[in-house]
Amino acid sequence: MEDDDQQKAADLVQELVLRLVSQNPQTPNLDPNSPAFLKTLRYAFRILSSRLTPSVLPDATAIAESLKRRLATQGKSSDALAFADLYTKFASKTGPGSVNNKWALVYLLKIVSDDRKSAINGLDSSVLLPNLGIGDTGNGVLSRGEAKKKDWSNGVLLVSKDPENLRDIAFREYAILVKEENEVTEEVLVRDVLYASQGIDGKYVKFNSEIDGYAVQESVKVPRATRIMVRMLSELGWLFRKVKTFITESMDRFPAEDVGTVGQAFCAALQDELSDYYKLLAVLEAQAMNPIPLVSESASSNNYLSLRRLSVWFAEPMVKMRLMAVLVDKCKVLRGGAMAGAIHLHAQHGDPLVHDFMMSLLRCVCSPLFEMVRSWVLEGELEDTFGEFFVVGQPVKVDLLWREGYKLHPAMLPSFISPSLAQRILRTGKSINFLRVCCDDHGWADAASEAAAASGTTTRRGGLGYGETDALEHLVTEAAKRIDKHLLDVLYKRYKFKEHCLAIKRYLLLGQGDFVQYLMDIVGPKLSEPANNISSFELAGFLEAAIRASNAQYDDRDMLDRLRVKMMPHGSGDRGWDVFSLEYEARVPLDTVFTESVLSKYLRVFNFLWKLKRVEHALIGIWKTMKPNCITSNSFVKLQSSVKLQLLSALRRCQVLWNEMNHFVTNFQYYIMFEVLEVSWSNFSKEMEAAKDLDDLLAAHEKYLNAIVGKSLLGEQSQTIRESLFVLFELILRFRSHADRLYEGIHELQIRSKESGREKNKSQEPGSWISEGRKGLTQRAGEFLQSMSQDMDSIAKEYTSSLDGFLSLLPLQQSVDLKFLFFRLDFTEFYSRLHSKG
Amino acid sequence: MPREIITLQVGQCGNQIGMEFWKQLCLEHGISKDGILEDFATQGGDRKDVFFYQADDQHYIPRALLIDLEPRVINGIQNGEYRNLYNHENIFLSDHGGGAGNNWASGYHQGKGVEEEIMDMIDREADGSDSLEGFVLCHSIAGGTGSGMGSYLLETLNDRYSKKLVQTYSVFPNQMETSDVVVQPYNSLLTLKRLTLNADCVVVLDNTALNRIAVERLHLTNPTFAQTNSLVSTVMSASTTTLRYPGYMNNDLVGLLASLIPTPRCHFLMTGYTPLTVERQANVIRKTTVLDVMRRLLQTKNIMVSSYARNKEASQAKYISILNIIQGEVDPTQVHESLQRIRERKLVNFIDWGPASIQVALSKKSPYVQTSHRVSGLMLASHTSIRHLFSRCLSQYDKLRKKQAFLDNYRKFPMFADNDLSEFDESRDIIESLVDEYKACESPDYIKWGMEDPGQLMTGEGNASGVADPKLAF
Repeated sequence: MEDDDQQKAADLVQELVLRLVSQNPQTPNLDPNSPAFLKTLRYAFRILSSRLTPSVLPDATAIAESLKRRLATQGKSSDALAFADLYTKFASKTGPGSVNNKWALVYLLKIVSDDRKSAINGLDSSVLLPNLGIGDTGNGVLSRGEAKKKDWSNGVLLVSKDPENLRDIAFREYAILVKEENEVTEEVLVRDVLYASQGIDGKYVKFNSEIDGYAVQESVKVPRATRIMVRMLSELGWLFRKVKTFITESMDRFPAEDVGTVGQAFCAALQDELSDYYKLLAVLEAQAMNPIPLVSESASSNNYLSLRRLSVWFAEPMVKMRLMAVLVDKCKVLRGGAMAGAIHLHAQHGDPLVHDFMMSLLRCVCSPLFEMVRSWVLEGELEDTFGEFFVVGQPVKVDLLWREGYKLHPAMLPSFISPSLAQRILRTGKSINFLRVCCDDHGWADAASEAAAASGTTTRRGGLGYGETDALEHLVTEAAKRIDKHLLDVLYKRYKFKEHCLAIKRYLLLGQGDFVQYLMDIVGPKLSEPANNISSFELAGFLEAAIRASNAQYDDRDMLDRLRVKMMPHGSGDRGWDVFSLEYEARVPLDTVFTESVLSKYLRVFNFLWKLKRVEHALIGIWKTMKPNCITSNSFVKLQSSVKLQLLSALRRCQVLWNEMNHFVTNFQYYIMFEVLEVSWSNFSKEMEAAKDLDDLLAAHEKYLNAIVGKSLLGEQSQTIRESLFVLFELILRFRSHADRLYEGIHELQIRSKESGREKNKSQEPGSWISEGRKGLTQRAGEFLQSMSQDMDSIAKEYTSSLDGFLSLLPLQQSVDLKFLFFRLDFTEFYSRLHSKG
Repeated sequence: MPREIITLQVGQCGNQIGMEFWKQLCLEHGISKDGILEDFATQGGDRKDVFFYQADDQHYIPRALLIDLEPRVINGIQNGEYRNLYNHENIFLSDHGGGAGNNWASGYHQGKGVEEEIMDMIDREADGSDSLEGFVLCHSIAGGTGSGMGSYLLETLNDRYSKKLVQTYSVFPNQMETSDVVVQPYNSLLTLKRLTLNADCVVVLDNTALNRIAVERLHLTNPTFAQTNSLVSTVMSASTTTLRYPGYMNNDLVGLLASLIPTPRCHFLMTGYTPLTVERQANVIRKTTVLDVMRRLLQTKNIMVSSYARNKEASQAKYISILNIIQGEVDPTQVHESLQRIRERKLVNFIDWGPASIQVALSKKSPYVQTSHRVSGLMLASHTSIRHLFSRCLSQYDKLRKKQAFLDNYRKFPMFADNDLSEFDESRDIIESLVDEYKACESPDYIKWGMEDPGQLMTGEGNASGVADPKLAF
């Protein structure tokens, strides 16, 4: 029974195929036994026995509904009704002879009807229905036009609808039309575009200087679309021309003008890129000659490259070339580091293609730059013949080497090197050069190689590249760390930096008390003479004597030799005190720290401290004359009581004023010692230890010196207070001469009174003239003491008002430490009480 | 050229403390018992030539004169381990070796007798110095030699070397116990007169206070002389550190003393030292800071002069001047902080008639002497409460004088011959006026003191009005 059914179905299929095929106008009468027919039949069987299923659910009612609705929406409501009626009848038929698979049938009908509709709409129906013609045409790939034609001829559904093959005819006509409009075939244009891409004029596509670009010549008749397409494609050529020109120009310029190594590297990198591009073009060109390989030879085909394909091929080179052109534009005027920086700016791109491209380009471009950094940082060599590096050297005197010898050239600093890193790079190389030139040291080479080893890069060339900023930074850090440490070591150990600072502190800042005192003792009398009378040789002799007499003699001879007397330029009225000063000679390499301006600051501090010492010395001198066992009231018992009282009063006044002055000077000295010198020094020592490089050290020293200058009232802002201080000093010196006179007078009085006493004892009788003498003596003493008292009063008055002025200026000063001075001066609140009273 | 200082140690006590002083200096400078510089003493920075000079064979020899009228102590030194240190030409012993019998007059008289011999020695030493700064006299004021002969020497030095400084370290007798020297009030008074008139600076070392400190601070039940003497030598060496280790300031004796003694007559200084230790004594190790040290120095219990003041008087006592010599590792910034703290707490009471402040000198510590303290400090101060010590001397003298006791011993000597006791009276007057002057220093009107005395004004010629100048009253 089954076999029967099978046979029946097969027969039915054969008949169906026969009918369909025979309706085809191309094969009107087909022999059912011909192989072609059998082939078709077999194809039909294959389709039927395949398990292709539609992608919809097998629901007959749903399909019927959708059909009905569609008819309704198309306005064919009567048809819809008819269809519904028919479908009900069809669905209700059951039993033998009726259709089992109702859904399938309805679906088939629907597809067929859809098919026909779409065929009418001019759509390719071959997609929807199995194209039975495929089997016997045997063509794999068809060119578009022909394929269409064949579709039509083979299409199942064309059977009844397009008997005259109208479309086919239209297409043929179109092709002819196209041929007529295009004087030039696409192949030729493709070839021209390829030429243009290499900057060569093709037959039709030529460089047009008016529009600054390649275009199909106006005279050639091509469709507008093609023209635009060619124009677009040949932009590549324009870009290429630009890049190429740049390269050639740079290369031609090279020996004469300084393109610079970075520029050369840039050109080389571009050249590399271009040669890749050439390769691509070569391949394309070869392709352009070949037709597209087709499976069958019978069908004619176009060449492989059409303009559209070319546009796809060109997409990537276009991006690169555009970038290169942009870079070329940007870099035309730039050189060296600036160029690298400019390129780097373009590398910040989100497109991985662009990014990668730029990276590889930059790697080439930066290699000379990095090489410069490397040799600068590790060898201190400035291999920069073309001025491309961001460090520039200039010939300076040795003492200025560190401060001015090398500078950053900000324009040449690529933006991928941060300013701080650049500073470190600058300093490291500078340190090496400083070591080499100023310190005559070669130990840095070890430090450098150590640094290189530590950072993992060898000292050989080309160890670094762009994009390895971390590695660079690491290298620089390591090198800087070691070289700076080495430099400081050399300065500290070999050149005894700290010892020299201490020596300066001892001699110029008067720290070596016994030396200063002795110098004051022996130089003092000489300095009271007019400046013109003093020879600096003589003073140098005194200096030497002071050194030998004090503990300074145990100091390093090298340091003592640097200590000199300096006579400042003087006018006619100047005394020795005004011009005498000490200076310390700084030799290479320490003159980098102790520059002339630094030394002149030290000089000012010395002069100030020396002045202070002189005042102290004067006060001590007064004390010596009034010291306890000189002035004892005992000696004056024999004096008349009124004179004695006067004397007592004068002495007391002198002592009290002395006490006040001494209090001021001593406390000022304590202030200078503790708050200024020692504190600054201890800060400086700490910073010196913490210093990592010479710049730190210089800054620390600068700070130290400025702190001293500022706190010693030598700064710009403290001019007023300094003047009032000097007024006080002057008064103290005046006081000294007055006090000296007073004590001289008293001494004389003492001797006279003793003499007269003795006279009295010796000769009792005459009495008269002795009493006369006594009277005269008393009178003279009275007058003398009177005038001394008056002088003393005027000094005291002046001093009080000056001191008052000074104290009132103190709180106005900027430096916080000056309030320490006030604190010391007013420790017992003596002056504040005075002030509140007055 | 150093500012040389020649040390004169007179009498038993003077030689004992002197010996301790030299021991200490030798230790600090790294000088061996024989005067040879130790091998380790290479770290410079110290000035040995202030107190020592070098013999031809590079031996360091103290600039010291050892003077006594009886041989016991000096023989001890000459047989001791430091015998080779001193210059034997500088040792003076009286021929008879009988001492002064605790009699000031005997010492003074004998001093006069050997003046030439001793002055020869002094002159020789002075000539050996480039720029002699002055003399330091170590003695006690209670006995016979130190007080009597010391007094004579003071007068002579004042006369011969009037430009040089004379500083004394004077040991005042223990006044709490009954002394074995009954005439000690007489001796003290007579010596005090010379200390007032002929010395520039007297560092008062009160045996009472030294004993008290030894008992209270060092927890010694029966302090020996050697132990109290080591306290003295500590003070002496500490007070000379700034001279021996030059720094910014106070590099010479005159600079050191000038600020301490603004009023010439009030030149008696008190000392305080902290932290105190005695050899071979395991003390509690404290954490020492500058503030710590400075605060302790202001405490009465650390001061080496007894305060006999009653409470009311004590509160009126004022410092005329203070110098703290701080030794050790000191951060200079701490000094200011400490001063601030001291002022805030009002720990110190200064004179009212002029500006004053605590002066602080930082000094290097000898690298050769190991101490368990990071910081140590010495205070030298002129304080008005010292007048109570003198008052006590006066009252003790008055008691004895009233009884006319023991005066015969003195009348034996020329100065008091023919019952001429005016020297006693004169001395008493001088000490009394000294006490008065100290008292006057406590008042804000010190400047006018002594000038409106009615008795003196009576005979005045009308100039007195100019004295009470209102400007000077500030």
